[in-house]
Amino acid sequence: MSLIAVPEARLMLLGWNLRVADVAVRERVAFNSDEVRDALKQLIGRGLVAESVIVSTCHRSEIYSLSEGDARGEELTRFFAEWRGLAPGELSKSSFLAEGADAARHLFRVAAGLDSMALGESEVLGQVRQALKLARESGTSRTVLHRMFESAVAAGKRVRTETEIAVRPVSVASIALELAAKVFGDLSEKTILVLGAGGTGDLFARQASEAGVGRLVVSSRTRERAEALAGRVSCEVIPWEEFPARLPAADVVVGTTSSREPVVVRGDVEEAMRQRRGRPMFFLDLAVPRDVEPGISEIYNVFSYQLNDLEEVARENRAQRSRQVPHAEAIVEEELSKFLGWMGNLSVVPTLNDWRRRWNEQRDTELERQPAAERERLREFADALYGRLLHEPMRRLKSESEPGKKLDRLEAIRHLFKLDDE
Amino acid sequence: MGSHLFGWAALSLYLAAEVLAIVSLRRPKRVVDGAGAACLAVGLVLHFADLELRARALGSVPYRTLEGSVSLFGWMLAIAYLALWIRHRERAMGPFLIPIVVVSTALGMLLPVHVVPVSAQTRGALFALHVTFAILAYAAFTFSFVLSLLYLIQNRQIRRKQTGLLFARLPALEIIGRMNRTSVSIGLLSLALALTIGVARAQKLWGSLGDPKIAWAFLTLIVYAMLLWLDRRGWEGTRVAVLSIFGFGVVLFSYTVVNLYLSTAHNFR
Repeated sequence: MSLIAVPEARLMLLGWNLRVADVAVRERVAFNSDEVRDALKQLIGRGLVAESVIVSTCHRSEIYSLSEGDARGEELTRFFAEWRGLAPGELSKSSFLAEGADAARHLFRVAAGLDSMALGESEVLGQVRQALKLARESGTSRTVLHRMFESAVAAGKRVRTETEIAVRPVSVASIALELAAKVFGDLSEKTILVLGAGGTGDLFARQASEAGVGRLVVSSRTRERAEALAGRVSCEVIPWEEFPARLPAADVVVGTTSSREPVVVRGDVEEAMRQRRGRPMFFLDLAVPRDVEPGISEIYNVFSYQLNDLEEVARENRAQRSRQVPHAEAIVEEELSKFLGWMGNLSVVPTLNDWRRRWNEQRDTELERQPAAERERLREFADALYGRLLHEPMRRLKSESEPGKKLDRLEAIRHLFKLDDE
Repeated sequence: MGSHLFGWAALSLYLAAEVLAIVSLRRPKRVVDGAGAACLAVGLVLHFADLELRARALGSVPYRTLEGSVSLFGWMLAIAYLALWIRHRERAMGPFLIPIVVVSTALGMLLPVHVVPVSAQTRGALFALHVTFAILAYAAFTFSFVLSLLYLIQNRQIRRKQTGLLFARLPALEIIGRMNRTSVSIGLLSLALALTIGVARAQKLWGSLGDPKIAWAFLTLIVYAMLLWLDRRGWEGTRVAVLSIFGFGVVLFSYTVVNLYLSTAHNFR
């Protein structure tokens, strides 16, 4: 892929992501929505760039911009260092810089989930969309970046529907929640009982809460721990002695305690199933040693999984996802070349040529209808008229000094005269 | 009435809908999904035209003959699926259900034609209602059969932790179970109505209830009523699915062997 043929304006990407920057730096450069708006305004206000969009998530902070010919990454770095109160050297050491097609390609890959830790994850697509939304509201994304982000989102969607990269869940908790969702349908009306409020219990409770389960109930031998968890995640705390009696009301039971003996015993589960009239129950044992007595999966309509099983599934699913990468990359390249093709045409000379060609076609069509003897004279007349009519627009187009405005106008001409659709 | 031009056109549209349904299951796309539904809808209209032509040729309702009743069965199945699609955008069933529509529509045209004169038994609105409800019941039980198969497939995938494409596309067990319950309820109600009308007419026309078809219809009623009852008493899940598959076996037997060889009033002659 050649570098983009826009001599007047250049795509640029300055970023910090989990590959090049450690957590300490990423935390320093992470933006919240207000900071994104503020940074965008300043970037444009100071005339550093013509267009800009900032993608900021917990794994990455990336500043995409369209700038005039001589703007450099160092200036951007300096701006951010100053803005964040950091030493420019420290910031640039851990940043990466890409230009032109490489910058665009990076965004497309990010949107496709190819740059994520969990390959193919879908959240990032929403984050890319959100970044574009913020930039639009701040008026800092115009013709080029707008198109680039929309194309990247389209590529990301295609990758997820046309490949199986996002089909299989890859973390233990997400596998468990997906399995449970395939038993119960909507988890927003279901109750999850988490036994144990240590690290695993805490992590699972958070994930379950984010997944939008209906009721989250936590029970722990040390009540203070459960109360502390309830302070972080909204859930109900019940005393440890009461949990067996509360089993019938739980659809999903998650074991995360450090108990030496199983805490969920077969007799209790059988009793719970009787009270539930056979409605399914789902047990997830994340504890080592086991929290749930083996053999309960023999009870009718009881689904039971343990950590080892799910870790194995996670490994398999990760391998499955990585097999989809070549196909996903091919889609990214296809969408990227469409975008780059469009952008390559979005400069003065190709646009004027296309405009001329369109004029010539229409002139010739009209001339066909005229008597043969008249044609030569009419052609001269038409060309003279064309020259007069378009002299001023062309002059203004060429002499427009602000790249963003120039691109907007080029895009308008290409659109109004239908220069892009054959 | 030899040619069935509309019928064949409908059949090819059903086939197209099946292909689109499979494509859509692999890669869900709104356009493909919509195109599939459109094929099905146009197919239904053409299929109806075919049934209408049969009716004119016979001078009565078209399902007085075996081939007509099979064809109507396919039509009802397709319309029920389309209704489900419109209401719930439920696409996972399509690839499994449409083949039954295709086969019964094809059978409706390929079975040898019986030209039977209209008799006292096969005349009037009550006869039409009786057959319509009976076939509606069969269509509902077929739905339940397909849903039960899907239930067993999905249950197996969940138990084996196979989180692949089919797992992702098939609905959750609870949802399949709910749809199954609805299908069986509609089937039971329709069959009860068909049976009531049938029994009343049998008594009026022949003064006897000796037709084996009545016994089989009762058996079918009992199986499915039991299914609904057990579903609420701890059998929800794979047991109900297996019972529904068994029930469908009874329906099939009743529609084929009982109709053609055991019951003189239902042998389409």
